[in-house]
Amino acid sequence: MKKIKVLVNEDKCYLCGGCAGVCPALAIRVSSSWQFFEDKCISCMICIKACPVGALSYEEVAQ
Amino acid sequence: MKYDVVVVGSGVAGPIVARDVAKAGFSVLLVDKKPAIGTPKQCAEGINVNVFKEFDIPYDKRFINREIYGARIYSPSGYTAELRYDKVSGVILERKVFDKMLAYYAAKAGADVWARTEVIDLLRKEGKIMGVKAKHEGELVEIEAKIIVAADGVESTVARLAGINTYAPPHEFDSAYEYEMIIEGYDPDLIHLWFGNEIAPRGYVWVFPKDEDRANVGIGINSDNEKTAKYYLDKWLKENNIPTKKILEINVGLVPVGGFVRELVKENVAVVGDAARQVNPVHGGGMYEAMKAANILAKWIVKALEEENLELLKNYTKEWWEVEGPKMERLLKLRRAMEKLTDEDIDVFVQLLGGTDLEKLAGGNYFEVVKALMKHPKVLMSKRRLEILKALL
Ligand SMILES: Cc1cc2nc3c(=O)[nH]c(=O)nc-3n(C[C@H](O)[C@H](O)[C@H](O)COP(=O)(O)OP(=O)(O)OC[C@H]3O[C@@H](n4cnc5c(N)ncnc54)[C@H](O)[C@@H]3O)c2cc1C
Ligand code: SF4
Ligand code: SF4
Repeated sequence: MKKIKVLVNEDKCYLCGGCAGVCPALAIRVSSSWQFFEDKCISCMICIKACPVGALSYEEVAQ
Repeated sequence: MKYDVVVVGSGVAGPIVARDVAKAGFSVLLVDKKPAIGTPKQCAEGINVNVFKEFDIPYDKRFINREIYGARIYSPSGYTAELRYDKVSGVILERKVFDKMLAYYAAKAGADVWARTEVIDLLRKEGKIMGVKAKHEGELVEIEAKIIVAADGVESTVARLAGINTYAPPHEFDSAYEYEMIIEGYDPDLIHLWFGNEIAPRGYVWVFPKDEDRANVGIGINSDNEKTAKYYLDKWLKENNIPTKKILEINVGLVPVGGFVRELVKENVAVVGDAARQVNPVHGGGMYEAMKAANILAKWIVKALEEENLELLKNYTKEWWEVEGPKMERLLKLRRAMEKLTDEDIDVFVQLLGGTDLEKLAGGNYFEVVKALMKHPKVLMSKRRLEILKALL
Protein backbone atom coordinates (compact mmCIF):
# COMPACT_ATOMS: atom_id res chain seq x y z
CA MET A 1 0.00 0.00 0.00
CA LYS A 2 1.19 3.48 -0.76
CA LYS A 3 2.07 5.83 2.07
CA ILE A 4 0.25 9.15 1.94
CA LYS A 5 0.23 12.56 3.47
CA VAL A 6 -3.26 14.05 3.88
CA LEU A 7 -3.60 17.65 2.75
CA VAL A 8 -6.32 20.12 3.70
CA ASN A 9 -7.71 22.94 1.62
CA GLU A 10 -8.24 25.47 4.40
CA ASP A 11 -10.53 27.58 2.26
CA LYS A 12 -12.93 24.65 1.93
CA CYS A 13 -12.61 23.19 5.44
CA TYR A 14 -15.30 24.07 8.03
CA LEU A 15 -13.35 22.60 10.97
CA CYS A 16 -16.35 20.34 11.65
CA GLY A 17 -14.16 17.61 13.13
CA GLY A 18 -15.74 14.83 11.09
CA CYS A 19 -12.49 13.60 9.59
CA ALA A 20 -10.98 13.36 13.07
CA GLY A 21 -13.96 11.26 14.08
CA VAL A 22 -13.67 8.70 11.26
CA CYS A 23 -9.89 8.45 11.44
CA PRO A 24 -9.07 5.10 13.04
CA ALA A 25 -5.60 6.28 14.12
CA LEU A 26 -6.26 9.64 15.83
CA ALA A 27 -4.03 11.16 13.14
CA ILE A 28 -6.16 14.30 12.76
CA ARG A 29 -6.93 16.95 15.36
CA VAL A 30 -9.34 19.76 14.67
CA SER A 31 -9.20 22.80 16.93
CA SER A 32 -8.90 26.36 15.71
CA SER A 33 -6.94 24.84 12.84
CA TRP A 34 -6.81 21.49 11.04
CA GLN A 35 -3.79 19.43 12.14
CA PHE A 36 -2.33 16.23 10.71
CA PHE A 37 0.07 13.84 12.43
CA GLU A 38 1.89 12.01 9.69
CA ASP A 39 3.57 9.52 12.02
CA LYS A 40 0.17 8.22 13.20
CA CYS A 41 -1.50 8.07 9.77
CA ILE A 42 -2.05 4.59 8.35
CA SER A 43 -2.88 5.83 4.82
CA CYS A 44 -6.40 4.36 4.76
CA MET A 45 -7.96 7.40 2.98
CA ILE A 46 -11.15 7.14 5.01
CA CYS A 47 -11.02 10.83 5.98
CA ILE A 48 -10.72 11.93 2.36
CA LYS A 49 -13.94 10.21 1.30
CA ALA A 50 -15.84 11.21 4.43
CA CYS A 51 -15.31 14.98 4.27
CA PRO A 52 -18.73 16.40 3.29
CA VAL A 53 -17.16 19.15 1.16
CA GLY A 54 -14.13 17.42 -0.31
CA ALA A 55 -11.63 19.58 1.55
CA LEU A 56 -9.08 16.78 1.84
CA SER A 57 -6.70 15.34 -0.73
CA TYR A 58 -3.40 13.48 -0.53
CA GLU A 59 0.07 13.23 -1.91
CA GLU A 60 2.21 10.14 -1.93
CA VAL A 61 5.29 10.16 0.24
CA ALA A 62 8.40 8.01 -0.01
CA GLN A 63 8.35 5.11 2.45
CA MET B 1 -8.02 23.13 39.89
CA LYS B 2 -10.11 20.30 41.36
CA TYR B 3 -13.65 19.17 40.67
CA ASP B 4 -15.75 16.10 41.34
CA VAL B 5 -16.61 15.92 37.63
CA VAL B 6 -15.21 17.47 34.47
CA VAL B 7 -17.45 17.36 31.40
CA VAL B 8 -15.72 17.73 28.04
CA GLY B 9 -17.98 19.19 25.37
CA SER B 10 -20.94 21.52 25.75
CA GLY B 11 -23.26 20.40 22.97
CA VAL B 12 -26.46 18.70 24.06
CA ALA B 13 -25.25 15.79 26.18
CA GLY B 14 -22.57 17.66 28.16
CA PRO B 15 -24.67 20.42 29.71
CA ILE B 16 -27.44 18.00 30.72
CA VAL B 17 -24.94 15.84 32.61
CA ALA B 18 -23.35 18.95 34.16
CA ARG B 19 -26.73 20.38 35.18
CA ASP B 20 -28.02 17.21 36.79
CA VAL B 21 -24.80 16.46 38.68
CA ALA B 22 -24.48 20.06 39.90
CA LYS B 23 -28.10 19.97 41.07
CA ALA B 24 -27.21 17.08 43.34
CA GLY B 25 -24.61 19.27 45.00
CA PHE B 26 -21.37 18.06 43.44
CA SER B 27 -18.74 20.31 41.88
CA VAL B 28 -18.68 20.23 38.07
CA LEU B 29 -16.68 21.95 35.37
CA LEU B 30 -18.12 22.01 31.84
CA VAL B 31 -15.66 22.95 29.08
CA ASP B 32 -15.95 23.46 25.34
CA LYS B 33 -13.34 24.37 22.78
CA LYS B 34 -15.69 26.77 21.01
CA PRO B 35 -15.26 30.47 21.79
CA ALA B 36 -19.05 30.76 21.75
CA ILE B 37 -20.87 27.69 23.01
CA GLY B 38 -23.26 26.47 20.29
CA THR B 39 -21.50 28.27 17.41
CA PRO B 40 -20.94 27.10 14.75
CA LYS B 41 -23.63 24.44 14.79
CA GLN B 42 -23.79 21.19 12.85
CA CYS B 43 -27.46 20.38 12.86
CA ALA B 44 -30.79 20.58 11.04
CA GLU B 45 -32.30 21.50 14.41
CA GLY B 46 -35.40 19.31 14.31
CA ILE B 47 -36.57 17.67 17.52
CA ASN B 48 -39.68 16.08 18.98
CA VAL B 49 -41.71 18.44 21.15
CA ASN B 50 -41.85 15.98 24.06
CA VAL B 51 -38.19 16.45 24.99
CA PHE B 52 -38.85 19.68 26.88
CA LYS B 53 -41.02 17.91 29.44
CA GLU B 54 -39.00 14.71 29.50
CA PHE B 55 -35.71 16.45 30.22
CA ASP B 56 -37.00 19.44 32.19
CA ILE B 57 -35.97 22.08 29.64
CA PRO B 58 -37.93 25.36 29.48
CA TYR B 59 -40.00 25.83 26.31
CA ASP B 60 -38.26 29.13 25.64
CA LYS B 61 -39.12 31.00 22.44
CA ARG B 62 -35.57 32.31 22.29
CA PHE B 63 -34.42 28.97 20.84
CA ILE B 64 -37.58 27.81 19.09
CA ASN B 65 -37.69 28.97 15.51
CA ARG B 66 -40.83 27.24 14.44
CA GLU B 67 -43.39 24.71 15.58
CA ILE B 68 -43.94 21.78 13.24
CA TYR B 69 -47.10 19.71 12.75
CA GLY B 70 -45.84 16.69 10.86
CA ALA B 71 -43.84 15.41 7.91
CA ARG B 72 -44.14 14.73 4.21
CA ILE B 73 -41.97 12.18 2.44
CA TYR B 74 -41.26 12.07 -1.29
CA SER B 75 -40.26 9.05 -3.40
CA PRO B 76 -37.91 9.19 -6.42
CA SER B 77 -40.80 9.31 -8.90
CA GLY B 78 -42.68 11.91 -6.90
CA TYR B 79 -45.14 9.87 -4.83
CA THR B 80 -45.75 11.45 -1.44
CA ALA B 81 -46.99 10.36 1.95
CA GLU B 82 -47.98 12.91 4.55
CA LEU B 83 -48.52 12.86 8.26
CA ARG B 84 -50.16 15.90 9.81
CA TYR B 85 -51.29 16.35 13.40
CA ASP B 86 -53.57 19.08 14.70
CA LYS B 87 -51.16 19.59 17.59
CA VAL B 88 -47.51 20.64 17.51
CA SER B 89 -45.41 17.50 17.12
CA GLY B 90 -41.90 18.92 16.81
CA VAL B 91 -39.89 22.11 16.70
CA ILE B 92 -37.05 23.52 14.67
CA LEU B 93 -34.60 24.91 17.21
CA GLU B 94 -31.96 27.59 16.96
CA ARG B 95 -29.10 25.37 18.13
CA LYS B 96 -26.73 28.26 18.63
CA VAL B 97 -29.04 29.65 21.28
CA PHE B 98 -30.24 26.26 22.55
CA ASP B 99 -26.76 24.87 23.31
CA LYS B 100 -25.71 28.07 25.02
CA MET B 101 -28.88 28.13 27.12
CA LEU B 102 -28.32 24.49 28.13
CA ALA B 103 -24.87 25.54 29.37
CA TYR B 104 -26.55 28.46 31.14
CA TYR B 105 -28.95 26.09 32.92
CA ALA B 106 -25.95 24.01 33.99
CA ALA B 107 -24.25 27.15 35.32
CA LYS B 108 -27.40 28.17 37.16
CA ALA B 109 -27.55 24.73 38.75
CA GLY B 110 -24.05 25.32 40.15
CA ALA B 111 -21.65 24.08 37.46
CA ASP B 112 -18.66 26.12 36.35
CA VAL B 113 -18.51 26.65 32.59
CA TRP B 114 -15.48 27.47 30.49
CA ALA B 115 -15.74 28.26 26.79
CA ARG B 116 -12.67 28.27 24.53
CA THR B 117 -11.10 25.47 26.57
CA GLU B 118 -9.91 22.54 24.53
CA VAL B 119 -9.04 19.28 26.19
CA ILE B 120 -5.89 17.96 24.57
CA ASP B 121 -5.03 15.00 26.76
CA LEU B 122 -5.86 13.07 29.89
CA LEU B 123 -4.04 13.80 33.11
CA ARG B 124 -2.43 10.61 34.35
CA LYS B 125 -0.60 10.03 37.59
CA GLU B 126 0.98 6.67 38.39
CA GLY B 127 -1.00 5.11 35.58
CA LYS B 128 -4.34 6.39 36.86
CA ILE B 129 -6.53 8.92 35.08
CA MET B 130 -6.76 11.93 37.38
CA GLY B 131 -8.37 14.53 35.12
CA VAL B 132 -7.67 16.34 31.87
CA LYS B 133 -5.11 18.66 30.34
CA ALA B 134 -6.64 21.58 28.51
CA LYS B 135 -5.68 24.67 26.60
CA HIS B 136 -7.32 28.00 27.24
CA GLU B 137 -6.17 30.92 25.10
CA GLY B 138 -2.83 29.22 24.62
CA GLU B 139 -2.34 28.53 28.31
CA LEU B 140 -2.04 24.95 29.54
CA VAL B 141 -4.31 24.07 32.47
CA GLU B 142 -4.56 20.85 34.45
CA ILE B 143 -8.00 20.02 35.72
CA GLU B 144 -8.22 17.30 38.33
CA ALA B 145 -11.47 15.38 38.60
CA LYS B 146 -12.77 12.17 40.10
CA ILE B 147 -14.92 11.50 37.03
CA ILE B 148 -14.37 12.55 33.41
CA VAL B 149 -17.27 12.74 30.98
CA ALA B 150 -16.44 12.56 27.26
CA ALA B 151 -19.30 14.47 25.61
CA ASP B 152 -17.06 15.74 22.84
CA GLY B 153 -19.24 14.85 19.88
CA VAL B 154 -18.44 12.89 16.76
CA GLU B 155 -14.67 13.48 17.09
CA SER B 156 -14.71 11.40 20.26
CA THR B 157 -11.04 11.90 21.08
CA VAL B 158 -11.30 11.96 24.88
CA ALA B 159 -12.92 8.54 25.18
CA ARG B 160 -10.42 7.06 22.74
CA LEU B 161 -7.53 8.51 24.75
CA ALA B 162 -8.97 6.72 27.79
CA GLY B 163 -9.03 3.44 25.90
CA ILE B 164 -12.78 3.23 25.30
CA ASN B 165 -13.32 1.67 21.90
CA THR B 166 -15.61 4.05 20.00
CA TYR B 167 -14.27 3.05 16.59
CA ALA B 168 -16.61 1.95 13.82
CA PRO B 169 -15.97 1.59 10.09
CA PRO B 170 -16.68 4.59 7.80
CA HIS B 171 -19.88 3.01 6.50
CA GLU B 172 -21.36 3.60 9.96
CA PHE B 173 -21.14 7.38 9.47
CA ASP B 174 -23.20 9.76 7.38
CA SER B 175 -21.62 12.79 5.75
CA ALA B 176 -23.90 15.81 5.93
CA TYR B 177 -24.02 19.18 4.19
CA GLU B 178 -26.64 21.88 4.69
CA TYR B 179 -27.66 25.38 3.64
CA GLU B 180 -29.82 27.66 5.70
CA MET B 181 -31.47 29.48 2.83
CA ILE B 182 -34.49 31.17 1.38
CA ILE B 183 -36.71 28.54 -0.16
CA GLU B 184 -40.33 28.87 -1.21
CA GLY B 185 -43.18 26.57 -2.07
CA TYR B 186 -42.85 24.00 0.73
CA ASP B 187 -45.51 23.84 3.43
CA PRO B 188 -43.71 25.51 6.36
CA ASP B 189 -45.71 23.57 8.96
CA LEU B 190 -44.16 20.26 7.92
CA ILE B 191 -40.67 18.85 7.57
CA HIS B 192 -39.97 17.45 4.10
CA LEU B 193 -37.85 14.41 3.27
CA TRP B 194 -36.78 13.08 -0.16
CA PHE B 195 -35.54 9.54 -0.63
CA GLY B 196 -33.80 7.88 -3.56
CA ASN B 197 -30.49 6.28 -4.48
CA GLU B 198 -29.69 8.98 -7.02
CA ILE B 199 -30.95 11.75 -4.73
CA ALA B 200 -29.19 10.80 -1.51
CA PRO B 201 -27.43 7.42 -1.36
CA ARG B 202 -28.39 5.71 1.92
CA GLY B 203 -29.80 8.95 3.37
CA TYR B 204 -32.22 11.69 2.41
CA VAL B 205 -32.56 15.34 1.48
CA TRP B 206 -34.38 17.46 4.05
CA VAL B 207 -36.16 20.79 4.25
CA PHE B 208 -36.71 21.84 7.88
CA PRO B 209 -38.56 25.20 7.90
CA LYS B 210 -37.43 27.96 10.26
CA ASP B 211 -39.78 30.55 8.74
CA GLU B 212 -42.43 30.67 6.01
CA ASP B 213 -39.68 31.03 3.42
CA ARG B 214 -36.48 30.15 5.31
CA ALA B 215 -35.28 26.61 6.00
CA ASN B 216 -32.41 24.29 6.73
CA VAL B 217 -31.98 22.46 3.44
CA GLY B 218 -29.54 19.60 3.77
CA ILE B 219 -28.48 16.10 2.91
CA GLY B 220 -26.93 13.05 4.54
CA ILE B 221 -25.20 10.27 2.56
CA ASN B 222 -23.01 7.30 3.45
CA SER B 223 -19.61 8.69 4.37
CA ASP B 224 -17.70 6.09 2.33
CA ASN B 225 -19.31 7.40 -0.84
CA GLU B 226 -16.95 8.39 -3.66
CA LYS B 227 -18.75 11.72 -4.06
CA THR B 228 -19.33 14.38 -1.44
CA ALA B 229 -22.53 15.32 0.35
CA LYS B 230 -22.17 18.81 -1.12
CA TYR B 231 -22.12 17.35 -4.63
CA TYR B 232 -25.43 15.55 -4.08
CA LEU B 233 -27.17 18.51 -2.44
CA ASP B 234 -26.15 20.96 -5.14
CA LYS B 235 -27.27 18.46 -7.78
CA TRP B 236 -30.69 18.06 -6.14
CA LEU B 237 -31.21 21.81 -5.86
CA LYS B 238 -30.28 22.29 -9.50
CA GLU B 239 -32.49 19.47 -10.75
CA ASN B 240 -35.42 20.90 -8.85
CA ASN B 241 -34.79 24.44 -10.10
CA ILE B 242 -34.45 25.76 -6.57
CA PRO B 243 -32.55 29.06 -6.66
CA THR B 244 -29.46 29.19 -4.43
CA LYS B 245 -28.90 32.92 -4.43
CA LYS B 246 -29.93 33.52 -0.83
CA ILE B 247 -27.71 31.38 1.40
CA LEU B 248 -27.56 32.52 5.03
CA GLU B 249 -25.39 29.81 6.51
CA ILE B 250 -23.55 26.61 5.56
CA ASN B 251 -23.14 23.65 7.90
CA VAL B 252 -21.18 20.46 7.48
CA GLY B 253 -20.66 17.49 9.74
CA LEU B 254 -20.54 13.76 10.22
CA VAL B 255 -23.19 11.70 11.96
CA PRO B 256 -22.51 8.30 13.55
CA VAL B 257 -25.41 6.12 12.43
CA GLY B 258 -24.47 2.74 13.83
CA GLY B 259 -21.79 0.73 15.53
CA PHE B 260 -22.91 1.49 19.09
CA VAL B 261 -20.27 1.47 21.78
CA ARG B 262 -20.40 -1.68 23.92
CA GLU B 263 -18.59 -0.39 27.02
CA LEU B 264 -19.51 3.21 27.78
CA VAL B 265 -17.29 3.42 30.86
CA LYS B 266 -13.66 2.74 31.53
CA GLU B 267 -12.44 3.27 35.07
CA ASN B 268 -13.51 6.86 35.83
CA VAL B 269 -14.24 7.96 32.24
CA ALA B 270 -17.70 7.77 30.65
CA VAL B 271 -18.67 8.55 27.06
CA VAL B 272 -22.03 10.00 26.02
CA GLY B 273 -23.90 11.41 23.00
CA ASP B 274 -22.41 11.44 19.50
CA ALA B 275 -19.05 10.51 21.04
CA ALA B 276 -20.71 7.23 22.08
CA ARG B 277 -22.48 6.95 18.71
CA GLN B 278 -25.86 7.28 20.46
CA VAL B 279 -27.73 8.42 17.35
CA ASN B 280 -30.92 7.12 15.75
CA PRO B 281 -29.52 5.06 12.83
CA VAL B 282 -32.58 5.56 10.64
CA HIS B 283 -33.04 9.34 10.66
CA GLY B 284 -29.66 10.42 12.04
CA GLY B 285 -31.17 12.54 14.81
CA GLY B 286 -28.94 12.51 17.86
CA MET B 287 -30.21 15.20 20.19
CA TYR B 288 -32.88 13.07 21.85
CA GLU B 289 -30.52 10.15 22.31
CA ALA B 290 -27.81 12.46 23.69
CA MET B 291 -30.23 13.83 26.29
CA LYS B 292 -31.56 10.42 27.19
CA ALA B 293 -28.10 8.95 27.73
CA ALA B 294 -26.97 12.07 29.61
CA ASN B 295 -29.89 11.61 31.94
CA ILE B 296 -28.95 8.02 32.72
CA LEU B 297 -25.26 8.86 33.07
CA ALA B 298 -25.90 11.77 35.46
CA LYS B 299 -27.96 9.53 37.70
CA TRP B 300 -25.10 7.01 38.05
CA ILE B 301 -22.46 9.70 38.51
CA VAL B 302 -24.45 11.09 41.43
CA LYS B 303 -24.85 7.61 42.94
CA ALA B 304 -21.15 6.83 42.48
CA LEU B 305 -20.13 10.08 44.16
CA GLU B 306 -22.65 9.74 46.97
CA GLU B 307 -21.54 6.24 47.79
CA GLU B 308 -17.89 6.96 46.96
CA ASN B 309 -17.85 3.90 44.72
CA LEU B 310 -16.77 4.56 41.12
CA GLU B 311 -17.62 0.97 40.19
CA LEU B 312 -21.25 2.10 40.16
CA LEU B 313 -20.53 4.10 36.99
CA LYS B 314 -20.65 0.85 35.05
CA ASN B 315 -24.37 0.74 35.69
CA TYR B 316 -24.66 3.52 33.12
CA THR B 317 -23.54 1.07 30.42
CA LYS B 318 -25.93 -1.55 31.73
CA GLU B 319 -28.93 0.76 31.98
CA TRP B 320 -28.34 2.37 28.58
CA TRP B 321 -28.21 -1.01 26.90
CA GLU B 322 -31.34 -2.12 28.74
CA VAL B 323 -33.39 1.02 28.14
CA GLU B 324 -32.19 2.25 24.73
CA GLY B 325 -30.18 -0.69 23.37
CA PRO B 326 -32.97 -2.90 22.02
CA LYS B 327 -34.66 -0.01 20.19
CA MET B 328 -31.36 1.17 18.72
CA GLU B 329 -30.41 -2.31 17.54
CA ARG B 330 -33.81 -2.65 15.87
CA LEU B 331 -33.42 0.70 14.13
CA LEU B 332 -29.95 -0.28 12.96
CA LYS B 333 -31.32 -3.48 11.47
CA LEU B 334 -34.01 -1.45 9.74
CA ARG B 335 -31.44 1.00 8.37
CA ARG B 336 -29.37 -1.85 6.97
CA ALA B 337 -32.44 -3.34 5.32
CA MET B 338 -33.46 0.07 3.95
CA GLU B 339 -30.04 0.47 2.36
CA LYS B 340 -30.93 -2.36 -0.01
CA LEU B 341 -34.05 -0.66 -1.36
CA THR B 342 -34.07 0.20 -5.03
CA ASP B 343 -35.73 3.39 -6.22
CA GLU B 344 -38.64 1.29 -7.41
CA ASP B 345 -39.03 -0.22 -3.93
CA ILE B 346 -39.10 3.27 -2.42
CA ASP B 347 -41.77 4.31 -4.90
CA VAL B 348 -43.89 1.31 -3.94
CA PHE B 349 -43.54 1.86 -0.20
CA VAL B 350 -44.25 5.56 -0.27
CA GLN B 351 -47.23 4.95 -2.54
CA LEU B 352 -48.61 2.32 -0.18
CA LEU B 353 -47.89 4.42 2.91
CA GLY B 354 -49.71 7.35 1.35
CA GLY B 355 -52.85 5.26 1.47
CA THR B 356 -52.54 4.09 5.08
CA ASP B 357 -53.17 5.45 8.49
CA LEU B 358 -49.81 7.11 8.96
CA GLU B 359 -50.73 8.47 12.34
CA LYS B 360 -50.81 4.95 13.74
CA LEU B 361 -47.39 4.37 12.25
CA ALA B 362 -45.85 7.46 13.81
CA GLY B 363 -47.54 6.86 17.14
CA GLY B 364 -45.41 3.74 17.43
CA ASN B 365 -48.43 1.55 16.75
CA TYR B 366 -47.07 0.49 13.39
CA PHE B 367 -47.71 -3.21 13.82
CA GLU B 368 -51.00 -3.19 11.97
CA VAL B 369 -49.77 -0.90 9.22
CA VAL B 370 -46.76 -3.09 8.56
CA LYS B 371 -48.85 -6.24 8.61
CA ALA B 372 -51.26 -4.73 6.08
CA LEU B 373 -48.36 -3.68 3.84
CA MET B 374 -46.94 -7.19 3.94
CA LYS B 375 -50.11 -8.55 2.38
CA HIS B 376 -49.89 -6.23 -0.60
CA PRO B 377 -48.99 -8.14 -3.81
CA LYS B 378 -46.26 -5.65 -4.72
CA VAL B 379 -44.59 -6.49 -1.44
CA LEU B 380 -45.40 -10.19 -1.31
CA MET B 381 -43.67 -10.77 -4.62
CA SER B 382 -40.41 -9.20 -3.48
CA LYS B 383 -38.15 -10.91 -1.00
CA ARG B 384 -36.27 -7.69 -0.34
CA ARG B 385 -39.41 -5.72 0.41
CA LEU B 386 -40.68 -8.40 2.74
CA GLU B 387 -37.35 -8.41 4.54
CA ILE B 388 -37.56 -4.68 5.20
CA LEU B 389 -40.99 -4.99 6.72
CA LYS B 390 -40.01 -8.02 8.76
CA ALA B 391 -37.22 -5.96 10.29
CA LEU B 392 -39.90 -3.62 11.61
CA LEU B 393 -41.83 -6.31 13.44
C1 LIG C 1 -25.85 18.35 9.35
C2 LIG C 1 -26.39 17.68 10.56
C3 LIG C 1 -27.76 17.74 10.82
C4 LIG C 1 -28.29 17.17 11.98
N1 LIG C 1 -29.62 17.31 12.22
C5 LIG C 1 -30.16 16.85 13.37
C6 LIG C 1 -31.54 17.07 13.68
O1 LIG C 1 -32.28 17.71 12.92
N2 LIG C 1 -32.02 16.56 14.85
C7 LIG C 1 -31.23 15.88 15.74
O2 LIG C 1 -31.73 15.44 16.78
N3 LIG C 1 -29.92 15.67 15.47
C8 LIG C 1 -29.36 16.14 14.32
N4 LIG C 1 -28.02 15.95 14.06
C9 LIG C 1 -27.21 15.25 15.06
C10 LIG C 1 -26.96 16.16 16.27
O3 LIG C 1 -26.41 17.37 15.85
C11 LIG C 1 -26.01 15.49 17.26
O4 LIG C 1 -26.44 14.17 17.47
C12 LIG C 1 -25.96 16.20 18.61
O5 LIG C 1 -25.44 17.48 18.48
C13 LIG C 1 -25.10 15.39 19.57
O6 LIG C 1 -24.88 16.09 20.76
P1 LIG C 1 -23.54 15.88 21.59
O7 LIG C 1 -23.70 16.71 22.80
O8 LIG C 1 -23.26 14.45 21.74
O9 LIG C 1 -22.38 16.44 20.66
P2 LIG C 1 -22.16 17.88 20.03
O10 LIG C 1 -23.42 18.65 19.97
O11 LIG C 1 -21.40 17.66 18.78
O12 LIG C 1 -21.23 18.61 21.09
C14 LIG C 1 -19.89 18.26 21.29
C15 LIG C 1 -19.14 19.47 21.78
O13 LIG C 1 -17.85 19.07 22.22
C16 LIG C 1 -16.93 20.07 21.87
N5 LIG C 1 -15.59 19.44 21.85
C17 LIG C 1 -15.14 18.48 21.00
N6 LIG C 1 -13.89 18.14 21.31
C18 LIG C 1 -13.53 18.89 22.38
C19 LIG C 1 -12.34 18.99 23.15
N7 LIG C 1 -11.28 18.22 22.89
N8 LIG C 1 -12.29 19.88 24.16
C20 LIG C 1 -13.38 20.67 24.43
N9 LIG C 1 -14.53 20.61 23.73
C21 LIG C 1 -14.61 19.72 22.72
C22 LIG C 1 -17.41 20.58 20.54
O14 LIG C 1 -16.93 21.89 20.32
C23 LIG C 1 -18.92 20.52 20.71
O15 LIG C 1 -19.46 21.75 21.14
C24 LIG C 1 -27.45 16.49 12.89
C25 LIG C 1 -26.09 16.40 12.62
C26 LIG C 1 -25.55 16.99 11.49
C27 LIG C 1 -24.08 16.89 11.25
S1 SF4 D 1 -14.35 16.71 7.54
FE1 SF4 D 1 -13.72 18.20 5.98
S2 SF4 D 1 -14.68 20.13 6.63
FE2 SF4 D 1 -14.74 18.76 8.41
S3 SF4 D 1 -12.85 19.25 9.56
FE3 SF4 D 1 -12.36 17.54 8.20
S4 SF4 D 1 -11.53 18.50 6.36
FE4 SF4 D 1 -12.59 20.10 7.49
S1 SF4 E 1 -5.73 8.45 5.80
FE1 SF4 E 1 -6.71 7.21 7.40
S2 SF4 E 1 -5.23 7.22 9.09
FE2 SF4 E 1 -4.59 8.84 7.68
S3 SF4 E 1 -5.55 10.66 8.53
FE3 SF4 E 1 -6.98 9.86 7.00
S4 SF4 E 1 -8.37 8.52 8.16
FE4 SF4 E 1 -6.57 8.93 9.46
